[in-house]
Amino acid sequence: MESPNAPSAGNNVPPVLSVRGLVKRFGNQVIFHDLDLDVQRGEVLGIVGASGQGKSVLLRCITGLETTDGGVIEVFERDTSGLTSAERLDMDARWGVLFQDGALFGAMTVLQNIQVPMREHLDLPERLRDELAMLKLALVGLPPEAACKYPSELSGGMRKRAGLARALALDPEIVFLDEPTSGLDPIGAADFDQLIRKLQRALGLTVYMVTHDLDSIFAVCDRVAVLADKKIVSTGTPSLLQAAPSHPWIREYFCGPRARAVAS
Amino acid sequence: MTASRNRFKTHKGLPSRGCAPGVALMDDGDVLRLAVTGCWTVREVAGIEQVLAGLRLHRAAHSAERGEIDLSGLERLDTAGAWLLNKTADLWSNLGLPSRFVGVLEPHGILLDEVRAHSPDPDNLIRSEGKPESIITDLGRASLHVASFSYALVSFLGAVTGSIAATVVRPWRFRATSFVHHLEHAGLRALPIISLICVLIGAVVMQQGAVQLEYYGAQAYAVNLVAILSLREVGVLLTAIMVAGRSGSAFTAEIGSMKMREEIDAMRTLGINPLETLVVPRVLALLVALPLLTFVADMMCLLGGGIVAVLMLDMEPLDYIIRMNDSIEPRHFFVGMIKTPLAAISIALIGCLEGLKVRGSAESLGFHVTSAVVKSIFVVIILDAVFALFLSAIGI
Repeated sequence: MESPNAPSAGNNVPPVLSVRGLVKRFGNQVIFHDLDLDVQRGEVLGIVGASGQGKSVLLRCITGLETTDGGVIEVFERDTSGLTSAERLDMDARWGVLFQDGALFGAMTVLQNIQVPMREHLDLPERLRDELAMLKLALVGLPPEAACKYPSELSGGMRKRAGLARALALDPEIVFLDEPTSGLDPIGAADFDQLIRKLQRALGLTVYMVTHDLDSIFAVCDRVAVLADKKIVSTGTPSLLQAAPSHPWIREYFCGPRARAVAS
Repeated sequence: MTASRNRFKTHKGLPSRGCAPGVALMDDGDVLRLAVTGCWTVREVAGIEQVLAGLRLHRAAHSAERGEIDLSGLERLDTAGAWLLNKTADLWSNLGLPSRFVGVLEPHGILLDEVRAHSPDPDNLIRSEGKPESIITDLGRASLHVASFSYALVSFLGAVTGSIAATVVRPWRFRATSFVHHLEHAGLRALPIISLICVLIGAVVMQQGAVQLEYYGAQAYAVNLVAILSLREVGVLLTAIMVAGRSGSAFTAEIGSMKMREEIDAMRTLGINPLETLVVPRVLALLVALPLLTFVADMMCLLGGGIVAVLMLDMEPLDYIIRMNDSIEPRHFFVGMIKTPLAAISIALIGCLEGLKVRGSAESLGFHVTSAVVKSIFVVIILDAVFALFLSAIGI
């Protein structure tokens, strides 16, 4: 977090996340073949692609929830395969994941959910833990009353915010967001985009965002990586991809009627 | 000038990341200076907070006129560290010592401002752990729960009775298909398991009774024991408990999952009465099934006792039947059977009522299914005990 406003790309700073030659198969079905991807420190990267292209699988491969069949994934300049459990834990604490519906623990209040990583990994005094959790709650824009509620009592948008607060509990350097605006109404989705932007600037986060929401892409993403034909076929700023689509799917996606409406 | 440097002890959990945090307090007469160095991150804050407490910042603040927190040596800062820095600055400000940050890098400044803007109100901080509840509070809450449940059950009984009465008046509204379906599932399909456990229990009672009565040379009286116990208590109790576990829970799960998916609300908007369509057929089906099952259970208990008597106690089959005939009077059978409709109504009503109480989540469904089984078995046993006392008091 030494340089929160680091330039997004294009210099010789090593990428914070780098994937080289990734191969992933389910049985005979090849999901990724020789996939390369770089994420620079301090940028918001959007991953787009048609349904079933493996956007979520890629996220799960990077975070170690799925095994891979080949290739190297380096996070913080360290190979994620073959880590000892202590190294793995250290790495887990340096990234946070927001799952699609928040994946909050149903038996705990929002406040307790946010405190789970602190309780598990740190030895904080109780009062400090409560203060930090309430701070995280305010940072993601939830009212203090939400702290005592259970996930089942929250709306979809609030659950996502609470899930984001839990992902931020240990002040990670990278956050992975899986479809953060899906299932939200347009106003709620726009608010969530703003929130991601604001937190990224304030906390100096690197954001890896799986999405298919065109509004999100143009509102928050510094760069977009397009997943098609089992690899990343193109990366660039949203406007660049729109101006010069290099793949039929990109043309369809960025130059369709909805995309034109968003960009104008 | 006084200076104090502090070493930080490492604590359990995540390893610290390279740069150790440092804090030094310097008293330059007018200016009280806190020099902050290294990593102020969530992994270190527990130690930092202890050291800050040890510095007695509030004592030192009295002698100075200005406070300065020097961040020029800070290498890494996150929200947790920013929170502590803001808290320290606030502590001084509250003691009348105007304080400010000096040597702030731009990203650290943004973070400090952002954290200050979202700081929780210290006066009504919401705590994750409440006070432990006193046993009195717990007792009171449990009593209220029992009272409200009894009230709900009685009013539900009224509503269902009304619905049944309406069905009697307008018999074409009766859901015959549903009734037959539940009769099959709660009645017919329960036959094998209930028969099996009743044979086994009848056999066990016979065997144990015979062993004990042998000391008095009254082994043959084990037949009386089995016959009377089966007909009055065991048959009906075992059947009711099995049905509560099989069908009461199924009723809760079926109605509860409909409630979860808003199907019950959909029925209401379509002008269909859920009591009439869902509850009445289930209650009536159990009302028919339970006495029939109990009769089978009684017979199976007697059969189990007979098997043990013939195979292990060397009694002639005819002997067993004659002894049984001598010991049983019709009243024993009826004492058992009279309890069955009450048990049936209790089980069906509790199952359906718990189902209707399910709220949106899967946890709620699980909770209410468990609760339905526990409550219906409890009510069945209470009913049985009340009957046993009452009937023995009037001498039947």
